[in-house]
Amino acid sequence: MSRELHLNVNILNAGVFGGSWRFPGTDATASYTIDHYTEIAKKAEAAQLDAIFLADGPVLDPQVRHRPGNNLEPTTVLARIAAQTERIGLIGTLSSSYNDPVELARRVADLDYVSGGRVGWNVVTTAGPVAARNFGRDGEPDHALRYRRAADFVEQVVATWAERTEHASPQGRPVVVQAGGSSDGRRLASRVGEVIFSADQDLEHARAFRDEIRAGAADFGRRPEDVVVLPGLSTVVGSTEAEARQRRELLDEVLPDAYARGRLAGQLGFSLDGLDDDAPIPAELLVEPDEAGGSQTFYRMVKGIIDRENPTLRQLLKKLSGGGGHRIVVGTPEQIADDIERWFLAGAADGFNVMPDVLPSGFDHFVEQVVPELRRRGLFRHEYAGTTLRDHLGLGGPDVPQGVWDRAPLEAAR
Amino acid sequence: MSTTTPILLELAVGRLVDDVGRGPDAPLVTSLTDAVRIAQVAEAAGVAGLRLLDAAPGFAVLDPTVVVSFLAGGTSALGYLADVPTTHHAPYNLARRILSIDRATGGRAGLVLRPGEGDEVTIAVVPDPSARDPRQRWCEYAEILRRLWDSFPAEALVGDQHSAIFVRDELIRPAGFDGRFYRVSGPLDGPSSVQGRPVQVAAVTDAAEIACVVGHADAVVVDVAAAPLADAALTAELERVERTRAEVALLGRIQVPPAVDADWLYGRVATQSLDGLVLTVNGSTHELLALIENTVSRLVAPRPTGTLREALGLSPVAVRTADQRESVA
Repeated sequence: MSRELHLNVNILNAGVFGGSWRFPGTDATASYTIDHYTEIAKKAEAAQLDAIFLADGPVLDPQVRHRPGNNLEPTTVLARIAAQTERIGLIGTLSSSYNDPVELARRVADLDYVSGGRVGWNVVTTAGPVAARNFGRDGEPDHALRYRRAADFVEQVVATWAERTEHASPQGRPVVVQAGGSSDGRRLASRVGEVIFSADQDLEHARAFRDEIRAGAADFGRRPEDVVVLPGLSTVVGSTEAEARQRRELLDEVLPDAYARGRLAGQLGFSLDGLDDDAPIPAELLVEPDEAGGSQTFYRMVKGIIDRENPTLRQLLKKLSGGGGHRIVVGTPEQIADDIERWFLAGAADGFNVMPDVLPSGFDHFVEQVVPELRRRGLFRHEYAGTTLRDHLGLGGPDVPQGVWDRAPLEAAR
Repeated sequence: MSTTTPILLELAVGRLVDDVGRGPDAPLVTSLTDAVRIAQVAEAAGVAGLRLLDAAPGFAVLDPTVVVSFLAGGTSALGYLADVPTTHHAPYNLARRILSIDRATGGRAGLVLRPGEGDEVTIAVVPDPSARDPRQRWCEYAEILRRLWDSFPAEALVGDQHSAIFVRDELIRPAGFDGRFYRVSGPLDGPSSVQGRPVQVAAVTDAAEIACVVGHADAVVVDVAAAPLADAALTAELERVERTRAEVALLGRIQVPPAVDADWLYGRVATQSLDGLVLTVNGSTHELLALIENTVSRLVAPRPTGTLREALGLSPVAVRTADQRESVA
């Protein structure tokens, strides 16, 4: 069978852009209500997407004065969505830095059971001193230590799942999703990741990344096709090119300036105060990515843009638009489908973690216009072939005990 | 004959793994399918809430926070309490999760925090390594929860598109907890729920435990036989911390034979100084459903509306300022 495109929607609160919550026609605080998430999940299921994806960190984002943050704990949101849907995959981010592995293993596996085998765990390490202080620490552990802990942590959790005999789900065990683009993160991805949520601006670079992960997986004795690489993709859809461009410009207009600067400063690890908006960021301030202490993925992304394009600070802020560094595509449904098709066929991606510009409107545009176009091209499924997240992703899995699972709770809850 | 006294039902959701024999005080353990049915029947009958246990001897029990979130996806008026021990749960994570459920249910959730050990994340940095006593840990934890749940007041969430102020962060205050077992900065990432904060319930067995949680609990669960003594202790301790008796509900836990009739149950409510009952049935799911439909439904007003706090007859939350906190601590 030919390769199948995979699509998740990342329900990143009000949308990926810093100004999404101010976009005309948007309910500013909707992403602080549960219905925002359940409604998007139902639409994602109706569109036959692989999964919804929830980012998370155990911390109040200090930038919350100017934009929404993730604010509902993912396992509670996903359990509720599980009761109100039947097929859509449910991927939640849970920190390996600040969870107890015994507790996390039980909770995520129980969630997998109640959902009928639809759960994925996005393993992240949590950066930053603000989160550290919620867990009795004054500062974060260094990057390499965070990843050593993550590797041990995932191993322990997966081993617990493999030994579990009670409440087995039809997919055997939850799917392990991994999101780090650093060298430490890539090693972890090759070793245990089944879905890799990556961040890449450039097709050649993304292809090399996917090749590296697949080769790395083979080195660990795994089949390359058992790793699904999904770069983040921010989408701005318009019925015409002009309409799409206009929407993109409007997103810049509504971007709170204080937020854009605070976010970029956080990604770079130094203050922007005193820098000239109309000059490039002084090169001596920029360290090599492996030496950056916080999120190396986004530091690498931003530094890549600076190295390639040498933008002024003002241009850089506009390019990122408070969106954090995932690739942004702006265009008609056909143009966006062209882009997705090009990356997919070139082996730069197995699909995408779609991050709509504004939620829910940008996701509505995506499922109503882009998904049908992808189907016309024979790239995306018309119907789910199975019931579990592993089925949707075409992932192999452990043998599942037969006869222990029944769907009645899901039916009864409806 | 009816009562406005709220009635809650206790159960666990799980599967038998080791037939250790049913003790006289064993909770009802049901399948997930049966729990969905129980939630729907209980809601229709006017039950105030379900209490989901974390463990039961001989059973593999599903995580009550997952179960509560799942069941609440199929009900709209029923309240939920999740039993969770301190063991394996860092306070920040648990506070967040319970608040998320509380917000998703429109203010119908609460937590029964159980004493236990620490968690893997905290153990590595425990402020006082000599601090071991589970009860003392429990007291600290209860205070941290309360502080975290008060840290991000709902009114701070403004979403003012015109001024580009999403959250008035000057209204947010860190929890700033620095104790022997835990150090937790806060604040939480989400605003308080419509009921102010999740209902914090303490299951207690003696006056010392009441003394420990009295500054932070919204409800206390005791064995129904111990209710008069608990009531006296609670009243005295509340006075000590300058809280009123109306701020805390006294709930009596009672083991009910499946075939009990409404008169008997009404008698238990009427003769005790109780603000509510937590029923645990030593029987089958079928018998519990019969109890709800034949007995409980005749006793209570149909379908609770409003928050769990209201269902328990509690006064609205008065969030204390940082200064007032100090005087209690």
